[in-house]
Amino acid sequence: MTEFVLQEWTALAPPIVLAITALFLLAVDALAPEDENAGIWLAGVSGVGTLLTLIITGWFLVAGTGQPREGEPASAGAIELFDGNIVVDGMALFFITIIASVTLLVIVASYDYLKDHPYQAEYYTLAMLAATGMAMVAVSNSFVVAFLSIELASLPSYALVASLKNNRGSVEGGLKYFLIGALSSGILIYGISLIYVATGSLQFGAVTEAIVDGDITGGNGILGIGILMILAGFGFKIAAVPFHFWAPEAYEGAPAPISGFLSSASKAAGFVITFRVFVDVFPIGAVGDTVDWVVAFQVLAIVTMTVANFAALKQTNVKRMLAYSSIGHAGYVLIAVAALTGGNQAFILGSGMAHLFVYGFMNTGAFLVIALVEYWGVGRTIEDYNGLATQAPFAAAAMSLFLFTLAGLPLGGGFLSKFYLLWASIEGGVALLAIALIVNSAVSLYYYTRVVKAMWVEEPSESLEINSYPVGLYTAIALAALVTVLLLPGFGFVVEYAQTAAEMIAPP
Amino acid sequence: MSVPPEYYLILSAAVFAIGVFGILVRRNALMFLMSVELMVNAANINLIAFAFFYGNLTGQVFALFVIALAAAEVAIGIGIILLLNRNFDSIDVTEAVTMRW
Repeated sequence: MTEFVLQEWTALAPPIVLAITALFLLAVDALAPEDENAGIWLAGVSGVGTLLTLIITGWFLVAGTGQPREGEPASAGAIELFDGNIVVDGMALFFITIIASVTLLVIVASYDYLKDHPYQAEYYTLAMLAATGMAMVAVSNSFVVAFLSIELASLPSYALVASLKNNRGSVEGGLKYFLIGALSSGILIYGISLIYVATGSLQFGAVTEAIVDGDITGGNGILGIGILMILAGFGFKIAAVPFHFWAPEAYEGAPAPISGFLSSASKAAGFVITFRVFVDVFPIGAVGDTVDWVVAFQVLAIVTMTVANFAALKQTNVKRMLAYSSIGHAGYVLIAVAALTGGNQAFILGSGMAHLFVYGFMNTGAFLVIALVEYWGVGRTIEDYNGLATQAPFAAAAMSLFLFTLAGLPLGGGFLSKFYLLWASIEGGVALLAIALIVNSAVSLYYYTRVVKAMWVEEPSESLEINSYPVGLYTAIALAALVTVLLLPGFGFVVEYAQTAAEMIAPP
Repeated sequence: MSVPPEYYLILSAAVFAIGVFGILVRRNALMFLMSVELMVNAANINLIAFAFFYGNLTGQVFALFVIALAAAEVAIGIGIILLLNRNFDSIDVTEAVTMRW
């Protein structure tokens, strides 16, 4: 068998395919006839493009693109492009898999959700552009590319949240998301400019080199403020408390598939750049005297988990409750950086990545069930969900599965990924994180159970009547549920890839 | 360099602080946008001044990207503010409070 070797730039195929799909959608919109079937074309093109991205990324992962070969050291193999401004390695591919999977589920579900929406082409194009931005965040290896791709992911997201143009909640959510997002990108870019002031470069490798060599202009003060501002900017992206104020509003106001998209894919993109920048670019050994970011992340993780879960307790609106639960999950994943005090760093980081993978499916699934309920026109509060199981048993069963897995019961992959996070916090020797994780999971079980109880135990109100079962939404929910369940036996596979990827930036 | 580089840092910090102040006190959404522009331009001052200081082009080129990006951000922002005006009959950011935490 002859071995064929692709050109190096083809490693960038996943974001390229996403970008081409977005542009192609505009052409489809211009050429396709303006009739009722336009939706199927647009959803079809976006779905095929995303599926192609997912297949290519999966193939790269299995074939070992950008990963160390047999016998090479764990940090070798990353493909660097454009003078090292872009890097395709195991972590980038792992996160692109998460982003592409979530996008695919959201696109399939949107086909039904958008039935009477007047701007379908714009919606799909913006979603694909946002996905391109998120995929680019995963491969960025310099502050220039990172900042531009974060913005490419954010700007379409603002428009998507506000895309129900006559719905006051949607516009309000979009406005708040935009205002706080603009503020956070202002803080982020100022932090990046201070890093440039201190080190004279923006490429990740060069910045690290300058910091490790102690070749810093203006002393450690400027560097420290820069690092803190970058931390705040990323904190907004992953919606960590105290930078979370936009999240409940944006998730509640947005069309439900977009809430799922933002809370899963956008959060994953925020985390990949956080992992890369803090673990790789600002190694704690070199900047620990200036800014001890591990302690900062420990505080962030514990505060995020606790505040979000206790705020979720008193919500009556299911979508808003899930929004707080997704903030709480950001807190759990932050354990992966907060526990980097010692022990096996790749294991700790890999646990966080694996949790994000599982979370991508279970959280998107839960938001898609909400999309289904919105599609039926059933209300938004927990009481409105009363007796849903009598009319739609499959949707109610799927929702129960997602919620219990989010809480960490052993019905799906969420149990194992939380267990790994627990193990990681013990490996890092930070017992407080482990305690916070357990206490908050117990708290979260209470509010998830309220929804499940409403669906299965309470009597339905008389007005509850469901007479349509949309295919797209059901397919997406079934897919998400299937993967969530399969991740229970298949979790070892995911965590192995996650840790191999993590070893590349954090040698054990 | 005729002007010492720390003067640029002080200038940019001042511009950034004015931007943050504007965001905290202004209620008009358009003023909010302008304040964000000030913050972004403060970063541009740093990038360009220190590109000159270091004698490399990285900062200057990045500043060009940032300027273009700020324009795109304003375009999206004005679109959303237009929707705000249609739905709430005002562009006061404190009036759009149909949701509660």
